[in-house]
Amino acid sequence: MSIYLPIAELSVNIFLLLSLGGVVGFLSGMFGLGGGFLMTPLLIFMGIPTSIAVATSANQIVASSISGTLGHWRQGLVDFKMGGVLLIGAFFGSILGVWIFSRLVAIGQIDTVISILYFILLTGIGLSMLIESSKVIRDRIRRKSVKRKIHYHNWAHRLPFKVKFYTSKLYISVIPPILIGFVIGILSATMGIGGAFILIPAMIYFLGMPTSKVIGTSLFQIIFITALVTMLHATTTFAVDAVLAFFLIISSVIGAQVGVLAANKLRGEEIRALLAIIVLGVATKIALDLLVEPNEIFNLSVIRVMI
Amino acid sequence: MFKKFFIIIYVLIIQFLCTSSFALVIGSDQEEIYIDANFSGESLLVFGAFYSDPSQSRDSKSDILIEVVGPLEDVALRKKESYFGFWLNSKSILFNDIPGFYYLSSTSEISNEFLNKNQIGLLNYKRSEIDNNSLIESNLSEVKSINEQEEFYNALVRTKTSENLYKQVFDEIEIIDGNLFRSYIDIPNTVPVGEYNVNLYLIIDNQVTQKYSYNFMVTRVGIEEAIYSFSKNFPFFYGLISLIIAIIIGWSGSEIFKRFRKV
Repeated sequence: MSIYLPIAELSVNIFLLLSLGGVVGFLSGMFGLGGGFLMTPLLIFMGIPTSIAVATSANQIVASSISGTLGHWRQGLVDFKMGGVLLIGAFFGSILGVWIFSRLVAIGQIDTVISILYFILLTGIGLSMLIESSKVIRDRIRRKSVKRKIHYHNWAHRLPFKVKFYTSKLYISVIPPILIGFVIGILSATMGIGGAFILIPAMIYFLGMPTSKVIGTSLFQIIFITALVTMLHATTTFAVDAVLAFFLIISSVIGAQVGVLAANKLRGEEIRALLAIIVLGVATKIALDLLVEPNEIFNLSVIRVMI
Repeated sequence: MFKKFFIIIYVLIIQFLCTSSFALVIGSDQEEIYIDANFSGESLLVFGAFYSDPSQSRDSKSDILIEVVGPLEDVALRKKESYFGFWLNSKSILFNDIPGFYYLSSTSEISNEFLNKNQIGLLNYKRSEIDNNSLIESNLSEVKSINEQEEFYNALVRTKTSENLYKQVFDEIEIIDGNLFRSYIDIPNTVPVGEYNVNLYLIIDNQVTQKYSYNFMVTRVGIEEAIYSFSKNFPFFYGLISLIIAIIIGWSGSEIFKRFRKV
């Protein structure tokens, strides 16, 4: 059974779509990630045009991050003030990002740039997850417990415009969070990701936020970034496919809930190592597409006219 | 459908046996192709009858040629080149008014000379355009030499063919009883929306003796049309509604799940 996508202007198998959403949702529920970094490249592999994959992924992440934020908010783990400051930067970053995106579409380099960005990103995530999880597994075998510093003092504490963030128990300059938000905004708009896997380490190591508050806060501000990116794409690149988004959202929300349940029952490190290998596999596929001489060195894009 | 087909054919034959020495009459099973949520491509039936007076020449060879030309569109064609081991897009041409769908078939092999002379077929489509250069918009054309333009035009046809949007074959028309013909034309799911032109040629001894043309439409209907036009006409509200749907599903997902946990 197939469904016709009105914006992408092609039909896809509905079960393939639902299982893609379900699997990505499951992984995001299990690991607390948005899943955009897997969703976008997998949609592109399925034959969805790059611009539609990016814009529609952003729309799907709105749904999954709302689901996640509510859970953390009930437990009081969201720093709204910090989220707001990050958003100021993200607002301008995503506007710049959508502009860059439409320029790249116009000069025909969007596919290449997206591929290279994804290759760097996925290799980075995959390797760091693999190293981290294998370390945990090794430590568990040696029965070592790892001690971590709770608070970092660095350059973020010495800049001007200092503000008190009560929830995170921080007194730091607003400049670093605004800059971090700006970068995440650009990445979100060009790659169709929420950016949690960059945002979370940045919040812990650059801002020194407590780890418990980081996931909820990053999810909270990802709702707004991806909502803004969805709006910007809907009005400038016309690349949000509502039908595609609907099926992805339904299946990924269900998948995410199952993933959360599974996460409580399964041992994390092995699955994290497995995810790392999947991520590296996707990265390898992207790299091969860039490096191996393609069968067809010409590619065609229809310049759509508004009817 | 076959009943309908043969009734129409029957009426057609009676009609034109009474007329001239050469005749071509055609029909189609659809005047419109609708793209709805379940659309996954379609098969279009074109059929008809032809008649050439046998008293004129016993050895004359008659052929039928069917040409379907889809709505015209602008297409950017880019060539990948290797830079430092990476295959990146480099040179590009913008083609204006290229058919988004093209189909050509005949009852038997038709010579290229004939196609050239009558300006029919994919190769002629592009060659006629190369000559007057009208198809190339200057700002996107980084391809100056004729040889390279030729390469680009061939690539255009090749990529469109691989997407099942272009087809040129010489044996897809079935002949029944010597004077009736029919052909099924595959319309893939990526087909562009708009007006399609069907041209039928009756060729006798390498001469176009008769030409008959008609149009059909490919249109989005129902929810597909509603979503598409809404996204184009009211992009802001389209984005907003997409967000609201995401919020509702995301929120209710977590609510339903919370209840599961409590039970």
